[in-house]
Amino acid sequence: MRLLVVVLLALPLAAQSRLASDFEIAQMEKQLARSKEFEAQLSGRLNLGDVRAARNERSLARAEYLKAYDLAQRERLDARRDSSLTRYANATSYAALAQAKLGREADAFSLLEEAARYASDDAEAWNLYASAMRILGYPRKAIAAARNSVAIAATKTDKLDLAVYQHALATALIEAGEAREAETLLVTVTASLRSKEFEALQREAARAESFEVYNSARGDVAAYVSLLNRAQLRLASLYERRGDIERARAEYERVLAGRTDDVVALNALARLARTDGERERYYAEAFEANPFSMALVREYQKQLRDRTPPPIDDATTGGAVRKALAQLARGESRAARASLDALLAKFPENETLRTLRREAEGASVIALPSATPSAAELRALLGNFERLTPEQRVALDQATYTSVVQFEGSAFESGTIDGVPFRFGEATIFSGTFDITRPLRLTYRILGVTRSGDRDALLLEPVRLEAAP
Amino acid sequence: MKLALLFTLLTSTPEGVVVAHDNQLRLGNRWTADGVEHPTAIVSSDRQVAVLDALNNEAVVADLATGRTTRFDTAETPVAAAFAGSELYVLARDARVLQHGATRIPLAADPAFLRAVNGKLYVYSRAGTLQEIERDRVTRQLTVPPFASDFEISGSTGYLVYPRDARVRTVDLGAMKASAELAVGAVPVDLDFAGGGTALTARILAVADPSAKRVWLAEGTQSLAEAIGRGFLRGVLGLGLFGNRASQFPTGVDRVHVRGKHWIAYDSASGTLYYFTRRSSSVVARGIAPGAYALTATGVAWWNGTSVAEKPLQ
Repeated sequence: MRLLVVVLLALPLAAQSRLASDFEIAQMEKQLARSKEFEAQLSGRLNLGDVRAARNERSLARAEYLKAYDLAQRERLDARRDSSLTRYANATSYAALAQAKLGREADAFSLLEEAARYASDDAEAWNLYASAMRILGYPRKAIAAARNSVAIAATKTDKLDLAVYQHALATALIEAGEAREAETLLVTVTASLRSKEFEALQREAARAESFEVYNSARGDVAAYVSLLNRAQLRLASLYERRGDIERARAEYERVLAGRTDDVVALNALARLARTDGERERYYAEAFEANPFSMALVREYQKQLRDRTPPPIDDATTGGAVRKALAQLARGESRAARASLDALLAKFPENETLRTLRREAEGASVIALPSATPSAAELRALLGNFERLTPEQRVALDQATYTSVVQFEGSAFESGTIDGVPFRFGEATIFSGTFDITRPLRLTYRILGVTRSGDRDALLLEPVRLEAAP
Repeated sequence: MKLALLFTLLTSTPEGVVVAHDNQLRLGNRWTADGVEHPTAIVSSDRQVAVLDALNNEAVVADLATGRTTRFDTAETPVAAAFAGSELYVLARDARVLQHGATRIPLAADPAFLRAVNGKLYVYSRAGTLQEIERDRVTRQLTVPPFASDFEISGSTGYLVYPRDARVRTVDLGAMKASAELAVGAVPVDLDFAGGGTALTARILAVADPSAKRVWLAEGTQSLAEAIGRGFLRGVLGLGLFGNRASQFPTGVDRVHVRGKHWIAYDSASGTLYYFTRRSSSVVARGIAPGAYALTATGVAWWNGTSVAEKPLQ
């Protein structure tokens, strides 16, 4: 049985994540509790670290990688004491991989070179070398190492190993900008994995309902499932980059056929959607899969610049994050902060939420609006009212503003100024005759922030109402 | 024990011990120059020293007398270098080239070891090729077994160490032909020459075997003419005359270095440096990073974390 195969390390970590990783975390923790073998413990720690990193929980990820390194280091010394040089080389390679994940490039390189002295004939050792170099940002070195592993595996009979190493080579090639050779390799890998040659593994994966995708896979089925997922994603991304949208979409859909909650595929299909409805559906599913993927968050924020999403159901974590992002996009930073604080209470270690919370704070200095304020000025005030200095509050109390407003309902009580909600302390009667359904010119003082329906709103004191020019 | 793996390299030169670490290159109290960020290999001649940074693809060459340096970019992953006279050749493994100034000589896959002898250069590539280079071109090449862990030359014989096979294989560099094969230990990794090579004796090989926790002493190859001249033929018969003699260590040593009558061995896993003779071994220092030590004319020098320490050897 395949003990441990580093399959992935292919996509940016932030892009690989999913809330469904809760399941993977539980699986890994079970594995750690169940088996005390070196490979089980090591793959458990590495995968936990990867999942944590994917969820942008960097300090937790680091803790797991440190544990993986300590395990590998202990195994190195034990193997050496036992005069088991194959074990020693293997453990040394994994110690290097853990160091690479910790960003310690000098230590990682030194360990990789040490492993290569004993295991230059081992394709897996070179695969680990390539993985570590890729993690550390040396794609040319990764390519050379990956070519070694492919050359060695090509002389053997194990087709799954060969596919694993070809995938690693393709990954390094992509990162070095050599997309053409990478695409050829990935077409070979995906075709091979879907072929009859792998029928037995396909059946076994279906029978066991295996869908978990790991960076360090244990056993042939896990390696097969993980590799097929990653190779398809990589290939789809290459198609997408060179503008072959139909092929890209088809490949992403194949990924979803294997795993319906793959956040990378869902995000990509949202990006490539043919209609707004389709886009929203894929984004909703992607955020359900992992609401904390920074790559997904950023992409959704880009979409929100141009489009207003339909009302968002925030009953789930994914929905709550999307709602906070929509609030941020509308400049409702006060409301966004409240939404994010509620999420942070549930996920205090999450760095994506922390980042968004910092961004919701906005600029450090808040300016008072001009006499005829723009929507942006009013939104900034609405979002940051409590950050006004005492001097600014005094100035605000004395200032009057004039805007064209649109009242809502049948009483002069609440409405919007260029989309920014406002509300009076109570319904007001103005002298004169006004059509409440039409825009009107309001002169007012700003008293503070209140709620209007489910949104934050400026609390205004009306001074004068006139027909709009 | 925690072993500091940060790169520090030492080399012994006629002018003294040169140390490369932390972006510095230093010759005792005589000069300090800007070095490389990650010193991964160091090599010296009578007049110059060169230090490589395999991660950043960079090399610095310093004049031993003045400390004046020249810095240049290398091809991908410079893992070894050699001076042929005053000319520096750099082996860039991942670019698969031997670099000499602006000239880049293509090599076989996974080139790992570079040796210079009599104006010629020899590169062993772990895919299983030995190439001879003269005047910046490959003049001859030989297919040899792949995946050796060390390659050394003595006289006109090249020695390749194979950990998996527990073999040392030799190549007659004059004829560019495989010549002999010796079974050595359990997992031989590194080799140096421990004497011999006279009219009466064949080369004695010191072979580090971390699995056996020994340095095996074996008689190396001798040409047919040499063998007949001595009246016997033994180099091709497997274990040499000294095959059963070995030095023992408490931990597995994987590097061996010989200079004159001084022999040292190093355990990369624990960072322990040993001095040894045919009969005994003793610890020189612990916690030493790989390459952070060197045999000098009178003893052994190592980096103790802050400075170069030296110990005279008997």
